[in-house]
Amino acid sequence: MDITAELQKIVGGRLSVSPSELYCYSSDASQVKGIPDYVVRPKSTDEVSRIVRLAYENRIPVTARGAGTGLAGGAVPVKGGIVLDMSGMNRILEIDIDNIQVLVEPGIIQDTLNETLKPYGFFFPPNPGSSAMCTIGGMIAYNASGMRCVKYGTTRNYVRDLEVVLADGTVIHTGSKMLKSAAGYDLTQLIVGSEGTLGIVTKARLKIAPLPKTRKLVIASFENAETAGQAVVKTFSHGVIPSACEILDRVSLQVLKRYDPKLVLPSEGDVILFEVDGTENSAREAAEQIMAVCAPLALSIRLAESEKEMADIWAARKLVGAAVSRLDPTKSRIYVGEDVGVPIKKIPELLKRVQEIAEKFNLPAMKYGHIGDGNLHLALFIDVLNKDEWDRLNKAADLVHRTAIELEGTVSSEHGIGAARAEYMKAQWGPALEVMRAIKNVLDPKGILNPGKLGL
Amino acid sequence: MKNEGKKETEQTKETEKIKITPKNINENESGSEKQSFEVDRRSVYRCVQCGTCRSVCPVFDVVGWESANTRGRMLIIKSLLEGRPPSEDVLSSLASCTTCGICASKCPAGANPPEVVEAARAQLVKCGITTDAQKNLKSAIITYGNSFGETRGRKHWLSETERSKLPERSDYVYFVGCFDSYRYPGFAKKTFDILQRFGVTLLPDEHCCASPLLRTGFREDAEKVMQHNLEQIRKVGAHTIITSCAGCYTTLKNNYPEELKVISLPEFLAEHLEELNLKKFDLTVTYHDPCHLGRHNKVYDAPRKVIQSICTLKEMKNIKENARCCGGGGGVRTGYPDISLELARNRLKDVPEGVDYIVTSCPLCVRNLRDAGGNIEVIDIVELVAMAIE
Repeated sequence: MDITAELQKIVGGRLSVSPSELYCYSSDASQVKGIPDYVVRPKSTDEVSRIVRLAYENRIPVTARGAGTGLAGGAVPVKGGIVLDMSGMNRILEIDIDNIQVLVEPGIIQDTLNETLKPYGFFFPPNPGSSAMCTIGGMIAYNASGMRCVKYGTTRNYVRDLEVVLADGTVIHTGSKMLKSAAGYDLTQLIVGSEGTLGIVTKARLKIAPLPKTRKLVIASFENAETAGQAVVKTFSHGVIPSACEILDRVSLQVLKRYDPKLVLPSEGDVILFEVDGTENSAREAAEQIMAVCAPLALSIRLAESEKEMADIWAARKLVGAAVSRLDPTKSRIYVGEDVGVPIKKIPELLKRVQEIAEKFNLPAMKYGHIGDGNLHLALFIDVLNKDEWDRLNKAADLVHRTAIELEGTVSSEHGIGAARAEYMKAQWGPALEVMRAIKNVLDPKGILNPGKLGL
Repeated sequence: MKNEGKKETEQTKETEKIKITPKNINENESGSEKQSFEVDRRSVYRCVQCGTCRSVCPVFDVVGWESANTRGRMLIIKSLLEGRPPSEDVLSSLASCTTCGICASKCPAGANPPEVVEAARAQLVKCGITTDAQKNLKSAIITYGNSFGETRGRKHWLSETERSKLPERSDYVYFVGCFDSYRYPGFAKKTFDILQRFGVTLLPDEHCCASPLLRTGFREDAEKVMQHNLEQIRKVGAHTIITSCAGCYTTLKNNYPEELKVISLPEFLAEHLEELNLKKFDLTVTYHDPCHLGRHNKVYDAPRKVIQSICTLKEMKNIKENARCCGGGGGVRTGYPDISLELARNRLKDVPEGVDYIVTSCPLCVRNLRDAGGNIEVIDIVELVAMAIE
């Protein structure tokens, strides 16, 4: 069968087999690579269904892709086949304020959705650092979260219903408009985080939340990352739940200052940014409480002076991961071992062990992340033209992953497994991985949906 | 003379390492022999593929394919560096960048994609791979000294008498540019009327500034054209060049020798507001920042100061470093007119309600925004100033 001609019948000119185009779809922000045979940009559920059916009948791999901002190779077609570029299905189909929900297509950009919701006084809370470019479909596929998940939860907590194209092209709905339902298996939660291995999401009904009246930011610096971690544990144990709780080690601070020299950040130590939100009174009270709890441990502690200062700090923080080259133009940040998580109480130990690993392999490291939910983003940076540095980097990343598992944590808190972390699934899940395999085999008996991912 | 500009950035220094041997270039601009593809690797690998540029690239916004955004272009260049043979297949990606630079201003890693794209285009030229539009543009400039292939004299907008009275020597020269010379001679006339009061003269034989050649990769040809203009400047004895075209401005400022002082018309006007004694009007206008004047050279305040000395300025939705490209630069209007005009239409969506004019300070922007067919008149800043003088 002439697959090119068949795909053309479905999407017309929204098909490419040009080598240059295929190359552009052969990677995301990770180090995983895989060249597709075809790229299509569907515009409707019907087109997706027909493409997937064609792939099913001809045993062709199908990999869905949003904006390609993933950090685990989830959208990379490691077995070739068809890439479904879903970013053109980007409409907001319904804003239902009365039911506090929206219906969207998967290609909508997170920030675009929130800009649209702002005049209504609502927002979709999960906010990864890539919110300016990542798609909601990608967020659902990887259960993305971000800085505010410590209070607001992850994408999983906001998905009410999904329209999903199954491996044979059948279209199902996994949920409803209802806030709750006790009818059968929760297929919605099965699809969230399944990385495109069980079906292709073509519509999503999402719960939204009212925008807080105000936000306040406490900036505290500590002698070392471990003490900073202890301050976080102490804050939580005093019953304060911040809306964001981020750690920035001293290297991250240098990078941030290089990125935006106007930022006023502590000149020494490792920093925790505590954000609280709510009404003016409740936010002020929470901020004061954090300052009282942390002051005995802190080198310095202060409240951000204005909304603009807060916005500038958050904007820079969102992009810190990629900004390492600003410190040393010969170094690039490579996304490996960058998303481990451990129970909050074990954060000080994780920070200590990660630093030891970086020193052992003689790699400069930057540590930042959502310390409030135990998620540490370790940024190791190397000269990409130096093979020895690559070897040391991969060994260090391997050790970081194994350390997280040993500390009863996870190899990925929010970026996903994809192909980059597939080898750790057995170690993290043991026999539960076989259950995942069984589910995969039932829903995708020919193994066409995003093969080579999740260690399945 | 250097090819790479004199912006004091690390990226610039890196890109300056691009390996070009004039001999090879000469051989291959005629397409006689295929060459290997060499662009400074470090400037390419600085991109960590995070996709930040994907959210701002105006061409991607219109085209939709990954190859049409900055990350895609960097990936394609990477693939060529890693041994994929250069072919015409890459042109729709690499030739469709307007070099507007919004990606560079947003890149967290500090990459400078427009410089990398221009370097890659130069390598493609070396390998004999160019679009027909690029070839035609080059041929027009080399043959006629202007980008339109015009055979008329460059100073046709002056009368015989006016031409004969031009001072042969002056410290200041008005570099007119191809656009104002041939498409908007009215702008040229108005600009020169103002500048003449300050003793500014014209070059005896101005040629294209070489911007189109540099932007599209014909670096060796650009060198010759720039050399010609430099000889003309030396003849006049000028130390300062004033230009009203953003493309000419960035080229003269960053690609010509450092000792040449280059001023944009808005900067010159802003410095001489008192002498100009401009009238005030009850008008409200908005201002479009040309990419090569604004983002590339940070000239944001001077045009605003001039406008506000005449009338009320109401800003567009995205301004200064966030201003969206009109689609007119980087050879895109010539090579991909549909995409180019779609960009201009998108830019017009940023125009606020209740303005009488859209003012800009680049003839390429004027043309593209006019051709996009909005219902608000687009004028060059010199037209606004000329109104206020009359």
